[in-house]
Amino acid sequence: MDVTLGLLSNSPAGDDGGGGVPSGGSTTAKSILTVSKEDNMNMVMSVEVTSSYPVDENLDDLELGLGLSIGGGVGGSGGGLKSKAVVAGPCWSQYARILTAKDFPSLVSKPNSSSSSSSVNIPNSSTSGTKRTAADSISPPNGTSVVGWPPVSKAHRIPSLANHTKSQTEELVSIPEQNKIKNKTNGIKDYCSERNGISFKKYRSVKVNMDGAPIGRKVDLNAHTSYETLARTLEEMFWGRRSTTEAMGSSRLLDGTSEFVLTYEDKDGDCMLVGDVPWQMFLTSVNRLRIMKNSESSELSRNQHETQN
Amino acid sequence: MCPFPDEVLERVLSLIDSHKDRSSVSLVCKDWYNAERWSRRHVFIGNCYSVSPEIVAARFPRIRSVTLKGKPRFSDFNLVPEDWGADVHPWLSVFATAYPFLEELRLKRMAISDESLEFLATNFQGFKSLSLLSCDGFSTDGLKAIATHCKNLTEFDIQENGIDDLGGHWLSCFPETLTSLQVLNFASLNSEVSFEALEKLISRSKSLRVLKVNRNISLDQLQKLLLHAPQLIELGTGTFMQELVSDPIKDLKNTFGNCKKLVTLSGLWDATPLYLPVIYPACVNLTFLNLSYATLRSGELANLLSHCKNLRRLWLLDTVGDKGLEAVGSSCPLLEELRVFPADPFDQEIFLGVTESGFVSVSHGCPKLRYVLYFCRQMTNAAVATIARNCPDFTHFRLCIMNPGQPDYLTKQPMDEAFGSIVKTCTKLQRLAVSGLLTDRTFEYIGKYSKNLETLSIAFAGSSDLGMEYVMGGCPKLRKLEIRDCPFGNAALLSGLTKYESMRSLWMSACNVTMNGCEVLAKERPRLNVEVMKDEDGDGSQAHKVYVYRTVAGPRRDAPPFVITL
Repeated sequence: MDVTLGLLSNSPAGDDGGGGVPSGGSTTAKSILTVSKEDNMNMVMSVEVTSSYPVDENLDDLELGLGLSIGGGVGGSGGGLKSKAVVAGPCWSQYARILTAKDFPSLVSKPNSSSSSSSVNIPNSSTSGTKRTAADSISPPNGTSVVGWPPVSKAHRIPSLANHTKSQTEELVSIPEQNKIKNKTNGIKDYCSERNGISFKKYRSVKVNMDGAPIGRKVDLNAHTSYETLARTLEEMFWGRRSTTEAMGSSRLLDGTSEFVLTYEDKDGDCMLVGDVPWQMFLTSVNRLRIMKNSESSELSRNQHETQN
Repeated sequence: MCPFPDEVLERVLSLIDSHKDRSSVSLVCKDWYNAERWSRRHVFIGNCYSVSPEIVAARFPRIRSVTLKGKPRFSDFNLVPEDWGADVHPWLSVFATAYPFLEELRLKRMAISDESLEFLATNFQGFKSLSLLSCDGFSTDGLKAIATHCKNLTEFDIQENGIDDLGGHWLSCFPETLTSLQVLNFASLNSEVSFEALEKLISRSKSLRVLKVNRNISLDQLQKLLLHAPQLIELGTGTFMQELVSDPIKDLKNTFGNCKKLVTLSGLWDATPLYLPVIYPACVNLTFLNLSYATLRSGELANLLSHCKNLRRLWLLDTVGDKGLEAVGSSCPLLEELRVFPADPFDQEIFLGVTESGFVSVSHGCPKLRYVLYFCRQMTNAAVATIARNCPDFTHFRLCIMNPGQPDYLTKQPMDEAFGSIVKTCTKLQRLAVSGLLTDRTFEYIGKYSKNLETLSIAFAGSSDLGMEYVMGGCPKLRKLEIRDCPFGNAALLSGLTKYESMRSLWMSACNVTMNGCEVLAKERPRLNVEVMKDEDGDGSQAHKVYVYRTVAGPRRDAPPFVITL
């Protein structure tokens, strides 16, 4: 494993939480490591430094933390772990940012002797003792930890790929309700892209992986009101659109006729079958979705059955 | 002494449109200054704080059209706090008395409230044309006021604003008597509008040239609208996919074929291979195709582009990949502008996007390229050198390697030589944005070679003050400089002492500038506003965000508490 370290200030969680560390819960390095170990997906964990600073042993006011990113070569192996908050597309800004001078008040007053540039936020090989980001790390770059970077303006942050399900719900829902749903979804999209981090919690996009598919997808849960629409969206994502006659039937993922089953990982990290709990409860507890092969899922339900008894 | 009577001079000067030319004209002599100021109809203010509305009104008595730009560009990326300023209302108050016949207002990055919109709608009887780009502070209620009261409206252009979308009722506020609409753009408003009202509006707007609808407008609805408006020159579609197919494909194809004047196409949300072909009949005339909301793959793009021989401008998402860009290179020989946006800028798992090889392919096939905006995750010096050789006519080169400070991924060297080759080869370069691992060498090249550079954006680059000093010592035509997260300190800031008054503005954030440095600058150059944005925490000696601009209006009177003018 290729691990490099990122430096964080030890300020408490909140807007100041350092680079690469989500403040969706705690921000300590330990908790992140725990999460990653529980993740049983097949991936290489690699950590990158989110900014380069001289590592000075005397800086005991600094706490080491880890920012995670996908490791290995092309395309990301399987699912891969991404710290939760960093996943949230356009609203990451309040959770991660590159470290700047104010995180290191002690450093600022001690300029680097080699040049007038002080030791702050220079991803630059001339500063001594720094860990380089992409130069050292073989993993794809992690650019998600900086405010306002990459410089993509509001207009060009495209909504989640699953938002097209609006048109699907049109046929299922009456007009007044449609407007309500649309405005709700759109309002949330508005907030997410236009207000700075306010509605991070409202933007419920979770990752979906399918067994055997190398590339995962994301789906916006707020665009759905029931398991049915969600399952059909997922089916379209991974298998393409069905013929019109079939389209009116219920989702094969849910009724058990497909060779795949839809499962999800909840907040406790447990793998659950989708459809057991009421939709709203599902919304609050789901972390990510997984389309599992039927053979594996039967084992799962056996295990669940056992633990419940 | 001027040999012409004033009226003749004014008549002659009234034919001059370019504001730069008009500025030159006004400097010739007093007579010309006066003739110019009386004949000017349109005023362009690139920085709303560089001048006050009173000064503008005093100098130009007969203005019909105003363009105003407010916040620094980095506010697009959340680097400028809310409530920073750029409120349009003080301007509107003055204009209400000075220019009651104002017809056109074009705002960019200004703050505008619903009250201001209502004020605008009710105080300017002949008001015709409103364009809001990247503005914030208003809601659809304000738009209702414009729709309701502006009886002669020709342009309603609302783009990419931070707006409170309270519903689509504003569209129904256009009166039945309004028939003069030429431009209607509500693509970035998310709420659903009444299709019935929209259809009626379109059908009675015989002069409509530009129509850009939002995503809620379905293909069926688009079909109906296009039947009413085959004269369109620019079209932004709604969603380009639908669930139940009632065989609109053939109809749509015919309809698009009937739009003989169509040269610009955008929207195309959710476009799939099933529906994309309906636009093929219109493609041969297209000069601008904006696919930045359509998550196309390389194959779909290749098929589409084979019909678009006349494209000059193309905007894409990086979902098309390098293969898609190869298709660009082989299908669009006349291409002048290419923008490739990242589909997932903040999440690197799913897609690699595009690489250096895609860019190189385009440069081989499109030698006329002059404007490029390219987001990628890897680049090499050699590739950029090739690109520069293939396309020496670049005027705008904006390369964003998305990981800050990333070197050439093959050689592990800094990307200095890449930008060096650009500035050496592309002598017409006006705008440059750099990225990747860069030492002071890059800026040495820029300072030495880019004689025409006007706008420069720098992030996470440079090794020392020297970097910025090189730029300030060269680049004779520099107007806008924006820097973030670079190791440039007071010496660098002050190296531009003699330059800032010839520039529009300087932005420096998260650099090494201190309050002392800013104070020195402010003291030496009283005609500059040196503004420092305080940070909530951090000690007071660091100047976290610095915004310097020339002004004849003195320090801002509306600065919020966190902005300190030195």
